[in-house]
Amino acid sequence: MKTSGALNEDLRLHHEALMFLVREAELLDNRDLHGWLAMLTPDIDYRIPVRVTRERAAAASEFSGTAFHMVEDWGSLKARVDRFDSEFAWSEDPPSRTRRLVGNVRVEPGETAAELSVKSNLLVFRAHGESAGNLLAAERCDALRRVGGELRLAKRLVLLDHTALPTHNLAIFL
Amino acid sequence: MPARIQVLLGQMEADLAQGVVPLAIYNDPEIYALELERIFGRCWIFLAHESEIQQPGDYVLRYVGFDPWIVVRDEQGLIQVLFDSCRHRGTQLCRADTGNASHFRCPYHGWTYRNDGALVGVPNRSQAYKALDTEQWSLLRPPQVDSYRGLIFACLDASTPSLPEYLGDFRWYLDMHLGLTPGGMEVLGEPHRWLLDADWKSGAENFSGDSYHTQSLHRSIAEVGLAPQAPPLQFSARKEPHQHITECGGHATSVRRARDGEPGFWGYPPEVVQFFRKDGLSKEQFELASTTINTTGTIFPNLSLIHTSPTDDPHKPPAAYLSFRQWQPKGPGQMEIWSWVLAPKEASPAYKERAYKVAVASFSPSGNFEQDDTIVWHGIARSARSLFARKAGAKLNYQMGLESMSEARIVPDWPGPGVAYDSNLEEGVQRTFLRHWLREMSRG
Repeated sequence: MKTSGALNEDLRLHHEALMFLVREAELLDNRDLHGWLAMLTPDIDYRIPVRVTRERAAAASEFSGTAFHMVEDWGSLKARVDRFDSEFAWSEDPPSRTRRLVGNVRVEPGETAAELSVKSNLLVFRAHGESAGNLLAAERCDALRRVGGELRLAKRLVLLDHTALPTHNLAIFL
Repeated sequence: MPARIQVLLGQMEADLAQGVVPLAIYNDPEIYALELERIFGRCWIFLAHESEIQQPGDYVLRYVGFDPWIVVRDEQGLIQVLFDSCRHRGTQLCRADTGNASHFRCPYHGWTYRNDGALVGVPNRSQAYKALDTEQWSLLRPPQVDSYRGLIFACLDASTPSLPEYLGDFRWYLDMHLGLTPGGMEVLGEPHRWLLDADWKSGAENFSGDSYHTQSLHRSIAEVGLAPQAPPLQFSARKEPHQHITECGGHATSVRRARDGEPGFWGYPPEVVQFFRKDGLSKEQFELASTTINTTGTIFPNLSLIHTSPTDDPHKPPAAYLSFRQWQPKGPGQMEIWSWVLAPKEASPAYKERAYKVAVASFSPSGNFEQDDTIVWHGIARSARSLFARKAGAKLNYQMGLESMSEARIVPDWPGPGVAYDSNLEEGVQRTFLRHWLREMSRG
């Protein structure tokens, strides 16, 4: 049984992490990509590994250690965002309509005192043009770091529930 | 063949000589059904690269059209291609994309096959299958399997010419990409796969050498500085050193040459170029490689390559890589794209990691280039299924480079095979693909 002080601290951290993820989802759904970049640390490590179907007994993980749908640092994420500012970035012009649902948030102590280890489940509905839309599902394993009193995303691993992606491209951030 | 399709293909025969192509072929259920039979059922189709299955028992599940094939290295180190279907009731044996297995056991009744395809286990055999000749009931194989410089292909038709003959003169160009170092090219990681509502031919055609689209569709790339080695003034009248190689056994390629002061060898840095050897190639092949900065190409029907050096960040140097991509048919107007990233085996782990990252940022589901390709290819399939396209017999213009249309001329002393044009302002590379497609579709 936790003391009420410890429970309050857990709830406070949980609320803080949840509000971070909800705010992030809002920025991404509204395509405020520069606002989103401002939520990242300069040493951000952002990865979406390729997933393959494996037998349950296989020693290797279903998530590749070498193949990624995205493997990004701050500079490459910034370049992607800058590209979307171009009037010739056709993949998102007209833009996708996305709706992110973030849930099952789990907060643990991070690798350093300044970090929280936060897992969440993500469901993204994405429609484009006249398409009826599709769903992308994933678990995200994040490191949120406290910088000047505010949380920033320092690390993200997106564990997709897809092998072949059911969407025409990944011109959105997960 | 349905009469409507016969008429459409017959008309296309006459039209294609004039550079005119029916829109409907890019999304039509009857065309699609005929493609599966006549193209995917008869041509050599890429399955895997040998470096994906290095150890005995390593396997990957791959597709010819819709059909799943187990591509496995057996205990003797030989590559086997086995139809993924038990000989007893037909269900799939292998339900993983990749793994390592000495045997494949059917979940239904337990028939078990060694990884060379031999049937070695039949439950209750001594009571129930006393006279069973297991040699007759090993896993089925395609009529032809062969590999070329690490690329494993299968062919579902015994009467199709051998793989060396099928690849024909295009081997000259493949050698250049795959034979620069003694170790050859190595696949980095598992392939990307993603689904797209577009016709498989759109990808194949584009990579055969659609140089014309980059200045419009990929303009954002130049604006952000992600392709520092792309020509800066593409809309201008200046002629770029760039050749289109058409009619190379049905295959085609587009070769952009290094301008003065630019590096060749697709922009590989000295730390990788130091491993390149002349002895695996002819003098002409080595000379062309050493003066080439960008290549795309398509091996008919659905395997394409790109050898290029963009960057993921305008503040970081470009990195060269090779990618093979396969346009898998998944239904009328639908495909699944598979993409493999490769680098010279001898390159350092740090270089491979950097090259992989750049590849993902350029050609992959999230690739800054390829994102935009998916949009327009979808649009082609969308238009092609229209009632109007069919009723009106809407036709597309593939005329660039035809006589009097552009300055493109045949290079008389081109050192390699195929018919080379001295300009990228021509569409003979795409007409090569379509002519071959039409020939295969019309052949009974």
